[in-house]
Amino acid sequence: MWLAAIAGLAALLWTSAMAQGPPRIEPPAGALVGPTLGGSIDPVPPSVPSEAVAPDLVVDLSVPRVSITSAFQGESILLFGMFDPPGEIVVVVVGPPFRETVLRKQRVLGLWLNIGRQSFDDVPAYYAIAASQPLQRLLARGAGGEILSLEDRLSSVRAIGERPADELAQFRNGLVQVKRQEGLYPAAIGQVTIQAGRLFRVELPFPSTLPEGVYEIRTYLLRDGKIAAAVSRPLPVGKVGFSAELAGWASREGSLYGLGAIAMALVVGWIGGALVRRL
Amino acid sequence: MEIYLPIAEQSMNVFVLLGLGAAAGLLAGMFGVGGGFLATPLLIFVGIPPTVAVASQANQVIANSISSLQVQWRRGNVDLRMGLILLLGGMLGSTAGVSLFTYLKRIGQIDFVIAVLYVLMLSTIGLLMLFESLRTYLRRRRNPEGPRGKLHTHYLVHRLPLKLRFYKSKLYISALLPLGIGFGIGVLSAILGVGGGFVLVPAMIYILGMPTSVVIGTSNFQILFVAANVTFLQAATNGTVDVVLALLLILGGVVGAPVGSRLAARLSGVVLRGLMALLILAVATELLTDLLRTPGSLYSLAPRDMAP
Repeated sequence: MWLAAIAGLAALLWTSAMAQGPPRIEPPAGALVGPTLGGSIDPVPPSVPSEAVAPDLVVDLSVPRVSITSAFQGESILLFGMFDPPGEIVVVVVGPPFRETVLRKQRVLGLWLNIGRQSFDDVPAYYAIAASQPLQRLLARGAGGEILSLEDRLSSVRAIGERPADELAQFRNGLVQVKRQEGLYPAAIGQVTIQAGRLFRVELPFPSTLPEGVYEIRTYLLRDGKIAAAVSRPLPVGKVGFSAELAGWASREGSLYGLGAIAMALVVGWIGGALVRRL
Repeated sequence: MEIYLPIAEQSMNVFVLLGLGAAAGLLAGMFGVGGGFLATPLLIFVGIPPTVAVASQANQVIANSISSLQVQWRRGNVDLRMGLILLLGGMLGSTAGVSLFTYLKRIGQIDFVIAVLYVLMLSTIGLLMLFESLRTYLRRRRNPEGPRGKLHTHYLVHRLPLKLRFYKSKLYISALLPLGIGFGIGVLSAILGVGGGFVLVPAMIYILGMPTSVVIGTSNFQILFVAANVTFLQAATNGTVDVVLALLLILGGVVGAPVGSRLAARLSGVVLRGLMALLILAVATELLTDLLRTPGSLYSLAPRDMAP
């Protein structure tokens, strides 16, 4: 099957390389290139055949993007699809990477103050896993390869600066604690339900504190503890409408936004004050 | 009812924010302080990132001040000359304060300085005010018809040069005094991210010896401009002003401020000062216990824009 997949992929690449003429098919404007797995820069890692050549596994989302509007309170997204039995399904949702600085409190003369700080690069903004069976059981028979538990994923984040390994581990645990409180690293493994032996669905809950960026939803089909097929889908998370306009304005033209904020406060404060006194 | 705050990047209950705004407005109307020293810790407590809380709070203080100033101005409770001199000092001080803030941030001690400064200042001011108002109150009860005594005592500072007459405040003091106070407040407000009213009001009463009636209007006048300056600088340099958050706080404050003004008009100056002292001490105690108590979690994340 792998040979077929690779051959199919090569054929696809070859034909697209040949198609240099004007009637070239461009991807739709909104399409985003999915982040590569494990930092690899191969066009498509061999373990992840593109959807077109992996009909064993078909995946879709209930929405193409998460839109953060003024009424946004977090959102639950439905991921669903079909696979060729037998097999089990694992879904990994990874947020965009950021540099995070973890602060640690320490007691100084009886006062608790932020003394220690440690930065990490490439910290995923969000990380959640869902599976159709307990993960340990699914991955027990052979390494899941690229399916990483949160702990495994975080052990690879790059610490900035020098620090003993045990202290780094403490800061890393601190990072997980904080992120977990914000609901960005759900502790529980989500439940993928399988119906009729080949249909699957899972609710992916996102909290309102969701950072913007392109998220990646990777769905794996496991057979005998090995990855038989995998599909990666980008999920853009972004502000839309009024929220987007305000945030855009604030970051593009900060001074003008500041003047606008002052004017708003003056007008509302003045009119509001006058109105309330009249009552 | 939840609303998404575009700069704070999270959703928050509308009524919680309106209530916080109303509380801050009540303080503004009652004591002439912006309420930032109380509202900012509360905003952080409900989960708003500190940088956004500080900046949006400054935006709200503008509306509070203008709303309160409307009343005070009409009643003639603003000493414009005093206000302008304080403001001049405030602008100079906040510029110096921003440099100091940058320096402290660079050597990594800004958190320590903020926490300790807050506790020290609030407890000192609170205790001073409480003892003073208690003493006055007891003396008046014991001797209601007795001699009023001097309008205010004279210290060494009253011998400074550049003396000016402040008619509204019934004072003849050196202009250097309000200028220096304004400067100090400016430095503090840049470091602590508050309007500084909770320091300014006691300073005007106890150091300058201004009558309480004029103090509220005049401090509101100064705070209005300092808050506008902070809002502008925060928006232009850090992009941390959340207008949706500010607007909700303002709407709450619009209701709270006139209630505060009316309460203030009904209460005597001594009671007013005593109440404010208690409030300041309560906040100081809360902040101190925060510093002393073993925290639930030792770890926190630095705001992304503050990462080195």
